[in-house]
Amino acid sequence: MSIISLQGLKKTYKLGDNIVQALAGVTLDIAQGEFVAITGPSGSGKSTMMHILGCLDRPTEGKYMLNGKDVSSLPRDELADIRNKQIGFVFQGFNLLPRTTAVENVEVPLLYTRPVMPAAERRERAMKALTAMGLQDRYDHHPNQLSGGQQQRVAIARALVNEPTLILADEPTGNLDTKTSIEVMRILQELREEKGITIVLITHEPDIAAYGTRIIAVRDGKILSDEPNTPRSTLEMAPEQIMVTAN
Amino acid sequence: MFALMPVNIRLALRSLSRNRLRTLLTMLGMIIGVAAVLTMVALGTGARASVEGEVGSAGTKLVFVHSGNYIRGGASVGIEEGSGGADTLTLADMNAIKSEVQGIKFISPGLSTRTSVTVGATKAFAKIEGVAPAYSDAYSWDLKPGKMFEDNSSQAVVGRALADQLFGKGSNPVGKSMQIRDQVFEIVGVTSGESEDHKDTVFVPYQKLQSALGMQNIKEIVIAADKAGEASRIGEDVKKVLRKRHGQGNGAAKSYLSAQAGSGTSPDDFTVETQAAQALTKGLYTPAAAFALANLPKLDEVNLEEMADTLDHASDTMTALLASIAGVSLIVGGIGIMNIMLVSVTERTREIGLRVASGARSSDVAMQFLIEAVTLSVLGGLIGLVLGLVASRLIGWSLAWPVSVSFAAMGLAMGIAAAVGLVFGIYPARRASLLDPIDALRTE
Ligand SMILES: Nc1ncnc2c1ncn2[C@@H]1O[C@H](COP(=O)(O)OP(=O)(O)O)[C@@H](O)[C@H]1O
Ligand SMILES: [Mg+2]
Repeated sequence: MSIISLQGLKKTYKLGDNIVQALAGVTLDIAQGEFVAITGPSGSGKSTMMHILGCLDRPTEGKYMLNGKDVSSLPRDELADIRNKQIGFVFQGFNLLPRTTAVENVEVPLLYTRPVMPAAERRERAMKALTAMGLQDRYDHHPNQLSGGQQQRVAIARALVNEPTLILADEPTGNLDTKTSIEVMRILQELREEKGITIVLITHEPDIAAYGTRIIAVRDGKILSDEPNTPRSTLEMAPEQIMVTAN
Repeated sequence: MFALMPVNIRLALRSLSRNRLRTLLTMLGMIIGVAAVLTMVALGTGARASVEGEVGSAGTKLVFVHSGNYIRGGASVGIEEGSGGADTLTLADMNAIKSEVQGIKFISPGLSTRTSVTVGATKAFAKIEGVAPAYSDAYSWDLKPGKMFEDNSSQAVVGRALADQLFGKGSNPVGKSMQIRDQVFEIVGVTSGESEDHKDTVFVPYQKLQSALGMQNIKEIVIAADKAGEASRIGEDVKKVLRKRHGQGNGAAKSYLSAQAGSGTSPDDFTVETQAAQALTKGLYTPAAAFALANLPKLDEVNLEEMADTLDHASDTMTALLASIAGVSLIVGGIGIMNIMLVSVTERTREIGLRVASGARSSDVAMQFLIEAVTLSVLGGLIGLVLGLVASRLIGWSLAWPVSVSFAAMGLAMGIAAAVGLVFGIYPARRASLLDPIDALRTE
């Protein structure tokens, strides 16, 4: 069964007399356990698509089925509950709360579960998610005391803490160096392989897209190509590093 | 929505503690506002409570008739000069009052002298008061140990301080005898009253003191009314009886004062004062106020309501002043909170976006900012509470004004603080909850 099913999805923005078609009819099915990389140049509609997939925005036209349920026109509060339970977000800028410890950052989604989760359980689950990211020793560090890679791992722990079926990552490696980027890709691959979590990764870098099991290229709000891919191993070195070594 | 209250309060405290100076400045209006509210209530209720407290236990039941007339007057103030301090009252006057005036529960003469008392070899100088046995009921004496003497007996009641002096500290002198001049009295009770005029005093039946001193006239008459609220009427009746007996109030008009003096044209040789009036002059500690009130004609007719009104009136000006300070400060404080919360919403746009992406409903976001606004105002209110307590004490002390701060007043002040935070926090909270999460996440 497909976890995501898009049919004729359109999103138009009106700017004065101008009409911008950010998504111009996207039809797409993503099955449980896929690692889909969506690539395309800037302005091609990748982020718009991710916002709709993440129930942060609603399409102007078309249908979006998530886990078999039509979510295209659900009220705001129900969309909030779906984001809370079924979707984990990873952002380019990490979006950690400043002057807040790592474990408290990971707890944020647990604050909004219904029924309300007791504080002790929130802490326990957040610690478990941090431990899975190898950051149990850093639980009381503030974001500014952590490296970029560690910050992104805290953000991934936060995305995972409510055990979602879908992870949406918008340029998660945009602010990271190559070595750390590969680390993050390995984590995402492991989540797919070990837990069967579906991953939708948005990137404009072909190198990063290569880690997915399927690569979708978008241009001007339309799907340009949609190919299965043999995921690149995170044990390989990135081309830049090979060049550095050669020199 | 309320289940996250503890988390939200913690979040609010943390975000407020990040910018301590800004938080403090924002709270300034609340601090001053709440302090003003508290001071206002403290001064208002304090004035009322002091009067009610003075009158309290016995109500307005007591009426005092004094010999003489101490009204200070003269042509310059347009008040007839009183006759001074001669002992003009007699036992016959008392008996006439007793039989002619309705509604009297107890009546007791009062006469006193100062002389030495001896117990064995010990000698002390004391005030001797001759009263009727009913006196102890009228004043609700606390006789520990012992009881009141019997009428016209050779029994006496002594004050605690004098008993200590004569028989040793904490001793029980009941059953022992003491000599006053050439008469021997058996001590039957000790008054443990704290009041100054009890401590060093010996109370004896007035008949004994009269015969011992050869006194015919008495200094004062104390009357207790049957019912509270009858004191003014009894006082009025007493005046009529005494004026008739003393031949006053029907002489030729020789005074420029007849209007104020009521029925009388020649000044009375006695003074009638209700307990309420006495309390009023006591309640206003300043000598100037006491003088002004003592010279008010018809003061003896003042009842509890009028007295409270007088004080209310005096406190009205101060209340109006404080109320306007409080009102302006609270509005300014509320606007300050609204302003800083709007700034906070803008500063934390990304945080809001992240929370919404993590599954927060718009009501969760609104609640978080609303609680932060209320936390801010309640913190300001708490500081204001402390400031208000200090301020009301200071004002009370410097103006000799009685103050009283009740828990209800503190609750009211804090309630107002919370309400201000709630009202002025609604708009920023709504702004936060309506932010588009996509825009919010995009902000760098
Ligand atoms: N809120 C908006 N209002 C108007 N135009 C928008 C808005 N969001 C996106 N767009 C436009 O939609 C197109 C797709 O944008 P986006 O999805 O952000 O692309 P990408 O993430 O691939 O760079 C762009 O032309 C962009 O200018
Ligand atoms: Mg984008």
